[in-house]
Parts: sequence; structure tokens; C-alpha cells
Amino acid sequence: MGTIIPSWRQLDEGYMRLTQQQREEIKRLVLPLLDDLERFALSLCHREDLAEELVAATIASACESFGRLRDTTKAKQWLFRILSNKFLSDCRRQSRHKEIALTDSLEDDNNQFSLFAAVSQPFLLWWGNPERELISHLLDEDIQNALDSLPGDFRVAVALCDVEGLTYEQIASILKIPLGTVRSRIARGRSLLQKKLWHHARDMGLVKTKEPHQ
Amino acid sequence: MKTINKKTVKTISCDQAIKLVFSYIDDEIRGTHRAELEHHLETCRHCFDRVAFEKLLKSRLRRLNVGGSSKRLRQRIDTLLEQF
Repeated sequence: MGTIIPSWRQLDEGYMRLTQQQREEIKRLVLPLLDDLERFALSLCHREDLAEELVAATIASACESFGRLRDTTKAKQWLFRILSNKFLSDCRRQSRHKEIALTDSLEDDNNQFSLFAAVSQPFLLWWGNPERELISHLLDEDIQNALDSLPGDFRVAVALCDVEGLTYEQIASILKIPLGTVRSRIARGRSLLQKKLWHHARDMGLVKTKEPHQ
Repeated sequence: MKTINKKTVKTISCDQAIKLVFSYIDDEIRGTHRAELEHHLETCRHCFDRVAFEKLLKSRLRRLNVGGSSKRLRQRIDTLLEQF
């Protein structure tokens, strides 16, 4: 992913348009959320410099459109929405990822890859647990790389759910999509992520089974 | 069928249970569906292990990038916001 936007100048210009009261308010709202914003940005971009740019661009946009925030108790959702939209529009602009058609149909959810199904060996019973062993052998880097491999829409949904721990309803509100679509994107995103982990595990010699069909 | 707290809980198949796993680990199902799945998990080791596995993987994702915002970003934002 390339540079998102040259954001610092934009941040400065956006901020200048605020009234004194708005400046104080935005400081009160934004500063405590910086950790959350950068963590989310890092889970999407992986690289620290890109994540910083994404957060800065988000704050710049927040300053520019601060007057539109009616309910300040929803500032976190509002900022996450701005950040998600910036990330997704950048993904689409660059077209680096070949996006999977987002039909969002439940039909697709019924035929998905499961790492557990691919690795587990039920006959081992109590004394063997290859699927948990596999997870214990994976580095955070491996999991982040698998997350990076997802198409943008799926990556955002999985990151909001699994990395940020938000509810489906909160995710639906942030992305402005129906609950069913949230559910579908999370399921499909996890399926793709698990398939990526399976390929990595196979390449590393952590699993010896043949590639499953799904 | 099984009676839990004077309510009858339907027995579900593994296929039906698997469809509920993600909603379950995300704490997004309540009531009847949750009771049916939990009843199934009490009797099916395979699905029980599947749930444990999905929870474990979810917990690994949850741990990504823990550590707070970088000092550099915080300083730059702090400084900029404090100027006004």
C-alpha cells in the first residue's frame, strides 16, 4: 500500500477552521482514542508509517467535518468510520488487491474453508490436539500477514470484530451496512484468513495434510 | 430434546451447530439458539473443539498490535492540537 495522503498540512488547515470551543472538544474526544485509532490502522496497514498517515488523515477529516458530529458519545464510531472509509477508498484507488466480488450472500457462507476441519484429527482424542499446536506455532507476524492478504472490505470487518472487539451492531453502524452483511463479511473474511494460514503452515512444514478442497 | 430450566431445548445437528459457531464466539446469539448450541457442545467433542479453536484464533487476532500508539504519532498530534 502506498502513501495514503500527505496529511500533516491537511490536518493543520482543517484544524484552523474550528472555533475555540470545537478545538477543546476535539482534543477531549480525539486524544484518548489515539491508541485505538492507531491499533486499528496498524491492523489494516501493518506498516507503522502508513498507519500514522491513516490516523492523521482521519483526524484531519474529523476536524473538517466536526460540525456534523451530532452525538459526541459516538465519537469513536465516527472516527472509526472515517478511518475505514479512507482505508477502503485507498484500497480501491490503488486496486492493488484483486477484490473478491462482495455478493454478501449467505449462500457463499455455507461453503467456506475451515482451518480446524483441515487440520484436526479426531482419532487422536485427548492426548493430541494438532489444531491448537498449529496456532501455538504461528507468530503474530504470520497472523498479521494473513490479515493483510484479505480484500479491504473483509479485512476491515474482521479487524473491527476480532482485533477491536466490536459488536456486529457497532460494526454495522460504522460501515453503514446491514447486520447480515457484517455477519457475512466476517465469516468470509475468517475463511480466507484461515486458508492463508493453512498455506503458510504447509509451506513451513507445520502441517502435512494435502490441500483440502474448500 | 432436553429440558433446561423448565424449557425444552431442541437437539441440533453438527451442521446446524457449525453455522452458529462464529456468532457464538462473538457473543452474538442469545436465547433459544444459544441454548441449543450449548446443549450440542455438551455432547459433541468435535464441535466443542471447533469452538475452542475458533476462540483461540480470535484471541490471537485480539492480541495484534497491542502496546498503544507510537510515541512519535502521539507527540506530533499532541503538539499540533496544543498549538491552538
